[in-house]
Amino acid sequence: MGSSALATVRARTLFAPLDAGGRAETVARRLTQAITLGLLLDGERLPPESQLAGQFGVSPVTLREALAMLRDLGLVETRRGRAGGSFIRAPDDPQAAQVEAVLRLLSVHELRDIGDHRAAVAGAAAKLAAQRALDGDIATLREHAGRLHAARSVTERRRADARIHVEIAAAAQSPRLTREEMSLWSEVGDLVWLPVADDQVAEVAAEHDRLVDTIARQDPEQARQAAERHVQAETGRLLDLRLRMGTV
Amino acid sequence: MTSPGQPPGAARLGHPVLADPVLADPLLAARATSLLTGITQRIGQVLARVTDIGAAAESIAAATQAAGPPLRRDDFSPLRRRVAELLRAHAGLAAGAGIVLAPGTLADAPRCIEWWWADQQAQVSQLHVDLDPESAEFYDYTTTEWYREPERTGQPSVAGPYVDFICTRQYTFTLAAPIRCAGRFIGVAGADILAAQVERLVLPGLAGLGRTAVLASGHGRVIASTSATLPPGAALPRRPRAAGFVPLAGPGPRPPAGWGQAPDLLPWTLLAVPAG
Repeated sequence: MGSSALATVRARTLFAPLDAGGRAETVARRLTQAITLGLLLDGERLPPESQLAGQFGVSPVTLREALAMLRDLGLVETRRGRAGGSFIRAPDDPQAAQVEAVLRLLSVHELRDIGDHRAAVAGAAAKLAAQRALDGDIATLREHAGRLHAARSVTERRRADARIHVEIAAAAQSPRLTREEMSLWSEVGDLVWLPVADDQVAEVAAEHDRLVDTIARQDPEQARQAAERHVQAETGRLLDLRLRMGTV
Repeated sequence: MTSPGQPPGAARLGHPVLADPVLADPLLAARATSLLTGITQRIGQVLARVTDIGAAAESIAAATQAAGPPLRRDDFSPLRRRVAELLRAHAGLAAGAGIVLAPGTLADAPRCIEWWWADQQAQVSQLHVDLDPESAEFYDYTTTEWYREPERTGQPSVAGPYVDFICTRQYTFTLAAPIRCAGRFIGVAGADILAAQVERLVLPGLAGLGRTAVLASGHGRVIASTSATLPPGAALPRRPRAAGFVPLAGPGPRPPAGWGQAPDLLPWTLLAVPAG
């Protein structure tokens, strides 16, 4: 696939100008996410550096920094010569390596901030759900919590987990909190199960059961605390993993 | 939730008591009944078209099956015209409409949502949903109330209000009618109505009752209300009477007097606080 393929709608979305102060890490993260999501394919050639820098709204120096990070991660290969340029290399072992690459590009501070945002949304949603959920809503929550126990792959777990949190916000009868959960999960959902070892899966699933229990008991304050503690525990695991990785 | 004639909320809400002071005003129950009947008929018009789309889908399925070949997604494309007509005829009320099919119904797709939504200019666009079970964003519609109720009861149903996080992304009702082929459930035809639109239609009438008044779903969910302490989305108190609410109108005959019977289509109840 040549660089012409990038002159499409997805490229316009992908290469929308970054906020002021956009850094090499942000550029690298956008590109990594695009690879993870399959928007950029293995072997695809990136536009010339000057053009790409212009599309991201960063200097050529910043862009070259970002490409160097992606090269270190094995996600981009730069070839010299007439047929040269920067090419996408999507790893053969997909999920874990790619998700890890995304995590590596987030600073510890950013991860903590995402955790704070998630805790605020999940806490508010759980509290309102405890006030407003009816029997049918509780049954739905229990059903999805059960699916998390039955999930056999990371993708299944991530899906069941996201669904539980989205359903809690829906049980809160709040379209806005629901949209917020959905947007957070599409942004960082892949990361959540990365630091969870196989022997921890049952415990994390049980954590969701306890959260649903507090909502079923119609105890708003307990529900809020349970949701906040749950997200804080997740954030803690991610921070641990990120700190063990060191810097790029 | 709404097998007609058997509103789930009815049993819980209990019968009005003759001694209720509010019932001394027969006009109040009459106005409440008229209000509930009005909104029921308005939603009934949309549901009638949904049922038509379901019947058209059944004809397509039956004809295709009689001819021999397995059902394919494209077989249902003639429904698009009917869906567009529904959205045009009820612009401002129906936000989206279409059909969803049970897993395994089609030969060329494991699951199927053919759903369209209307924007402000009544332009109709198709909804795109991730139906690949392997994908992390996979949307399993078979667990939703609007799919399960027609599947379970074989009857049209009105689900909600609920947060529709797939199509409208708003507080929504979904009207749905079952689609059957050779006696087997193969999906539902449906239409989405935004809760905000229903509120616009009923709130002036509620306010006109001159006291705290609440329209609640069969599940006991507040749809519209004149009380800031019991806003839309709130759960009606488990024992409305103990909280001072008297049911004024709803579906189904309800002795003794003082209760207005609305058409059986919606399991919604209108309640008021006598001392408003």
